[in-house]
Amino acid sequence: MNISWIEKNTFHYSEFSDLTRLVDEKQRKNLKISLCLPTLNEEKTIAKEILIMKSELMTRYPILDEIVVVDSGSTDNTRKIARGYGADVYEATEILPDLAKFKGKGENLWKALFVAQGDIIVYLDADIKNIHHRFAYGLLGPLILFDNIKYVKAFYDRPIAIGKSKIRPTGGGRVTELVIRPLFSLFFPELTQILQPLSGEYAGHREVFENIPFPIGYGVETSMILDIYEKWGLDVFAQVDLDRRIHRNQDTRALGRMSFAILQTFIKRKKKLGLVDYKEKLYNEMIQYNLIKNEFKPDIYKIEGHERPPIIEILEYREKFKRIN
Amino acid sequence: MDNFIDKLPGFVDTIKSIQETIITNIVLIGQVPAPTFKEKKRTSVFMERLAEFQVDECTTDGYRNPVGIIKGTSESKPPIFVVAHLDTVFSKDIDHYYSIQENSITGAGIMDNSVGVGVLVSLPEIFRKLGLRFESDIVLAGVIQSLGKGNLRGIRHLLKTWATPIRGAVCVEGAELGRLNYYADGMIRCEVDCNISPVDGWEHKFKPNAILVLNEVINQIMKLRLPQKPRSRVIIGKTSGGFKHGMIAYDATLGFEIQSNSDKMVKSIFNCIKDIVEGTSHEYEVDLKLKTLSNIHAARLKFNHPLVKSAVAVMKKLDITPVSGPSESELSIFLSRKIPAVTLGITRGDNYHQQNASVEIEPIFKGIAQAIGVIMAIDSGVCDEHQLD
Repeated sequence: MNISWIEKNTFHYSEFSDLTRLVDEKQRKNLKISLCLPTLNEEKTIAKEILIMKSELMTRYPILDEIVVVDSGSTDNTRKIARGYGADVYEATEILPDLAKFKGKGENLWKALFVAQGDIIVYLDADIKNIHHRFAYGLLGPLILFDNIKYVKAFYDRPIAIGKSKIRPTGGGRVTELVIRPLFSLFFPELTQILQPLSGEYAGHREVFENIPFPIGYGVETSMILDIYEKWGLDVFAQVDLDRRIHRNQDTRALGRMSFAILQTFIKRKKKLGLVDYKEKLYNEMIQYNLIKNEFKPDIYKIEGHERPPIIEILEYREKFKRIN
Repeated sequence: MDNFIDKLPGFVDTIKSIQETIITNIVLIGQVPAPTFKEKKRTSVFMERLAEFQVDECTTDGYRNPVGIIKGTSESKPPIFVVAHLDTVFSKDIDHYYSIQENSITGAGIMDNSVGVGVLVSLPEIFRKLGLRFESDIVLAGVIQSLGKGNLRGIRHLLKTWATPIRGAVCVEGAELGRLNYYADGMIRCEVDCNISPVDGWEHKFKPNAILVLNEVINQIMKLRLPQKPRSRVIIGKTSGGFKHGMIAYDATLGFEIQSNSDKMVKSIFNCIKDIVEGTSHEYEVDLKLKTLSNIHAARLKFNHPLVKSAVAVMKKLDITPVSGPSESELSIFLSRKIPAVTLGITRGDNYHQQNASVEIEPIFKGIAQAIGVIMAIDSGVCDEHQLD
């Protein structure tokens, strides 16, 4: 196992805080960079993300060329607010409308590739309470400065917001430690060096994203790592410590469903690589139980595990971005 | 002066054109908790942001007040101070993360004083955008240890150690737009602590209750006859004490302020309250301690002082109605050192000192134009000829 990767390719965001250097290098390499924010009812946090990124990384330091919001049909004011603060806002269903319609974060990320113009795409979750421009420039630093790096993943000290107003200093990453890390340890020990494979913030070159499939739902982060690893190897990866990220706490049942989707994606990849063979069909329902009036009632949650193909296989995309087969 | 006053309405749109930067400064600094005496982290962020905006000098004074200086064109003109206090009333474990809506920012401390501090840090960029240069050096100071027990220590130290004379000052507060403070009442801020030993002693047949003892102190303060002239009042502002509902309280604390536009009257009321506390302590046979947390002398500019008249003119030009009242803030320290100064509010908002305090975004740009107008007035010399009484 190559364990030197973690030493060579792990950075701290402060190593890229010389923003003038990033601007110069970006201009020298003639790169276009897009920030993409997938949203679903994020009216409380979206404006702050757009404002800070626009101020610091567009107006003051021209690192980002555009901010694109792809929304899954929010019922609050997310789209209106995002538009008001100057982002390019799309509803996911309006992009490539002739394709079958799905709803999920992975769908938004995949469709963002069609509307964004950048050679490099930064994906950030839109619910980051302590958003700071380091979240974007930290991820962009290795991609702009080092030609061998094609995909950068964030990791954090992750406090979880508890209650309305209190914060406790540690926590988070339960699905990572209970599901992903055991799986990686069993099948891809090299990948255990990626400290937080499920972090929702990452950036990469378009040529990487356009050539990999995107699961519609929770499995997108896992599949991305496995697919990029398979196609290009670990050396194109980097990870950056972005310090602290405050995110919403999810209950155990929600984490259970997340784990189901991740396992589903993982097993699909294993099968595709011919690493395992299953005699029986896998089910696509997560079954959890509630105690109602002294009776255990199943709560069945269907997780289809739909995936979008590499977007380069879509004709409209190839035409728009002049990709020749 | 009319020259620059006429330009002020035009400033508003230019200031608004960099709203992202102004709001980013408000949010990035305001989200760092800074309870009084624990402002170190916020001070660092304040300094980082000031340095980012390329002020000519950026440093902390001996008391760790962060200060940025924009050099003026004249070697001989004394500096103009623009100050905002950094500390807040919220402890560090309170959620300080702000939420931005279409036209508002919500979160702990946003009104007092994240907006003021964020605007202060944005001024170098705003001056650049407006193409403004000043004769005087502009000293941008975020002062620490201002509120409550802080007793304005930051600003006191800053002014005590500043080497040169000061031409004039603008104190910036988040709210309310229209606020024009140019006089400070004399004030003594006190706490009375009542402690009762939980161990039974021979002196009490029935154990006294600390909360009820302080209630007696309050009742006696309420009986004091305060004059309308000089205008005087006692504000009972804080109480705390006790352990649980079904147990006699052994400890309780009462916080209050004596305010008057006469220092003599403040002292006289203080002496009356001291007698009340001593008498109650004796009669109830409990330990009552009266502590003075802060003491400010009454000081003022007259309404016809050119700085006040200029500030009113600036506000009227921007369709802001000036509302005046006494202020026990940084202003009082400037005035007590004979430095002409006013306090201005930047925007409107709700829930002033609550965790869900909220400010309107749109009025901020007019509020900033107003502060710049007053700085320009001072730079044009309105304070130069008029010493304070």
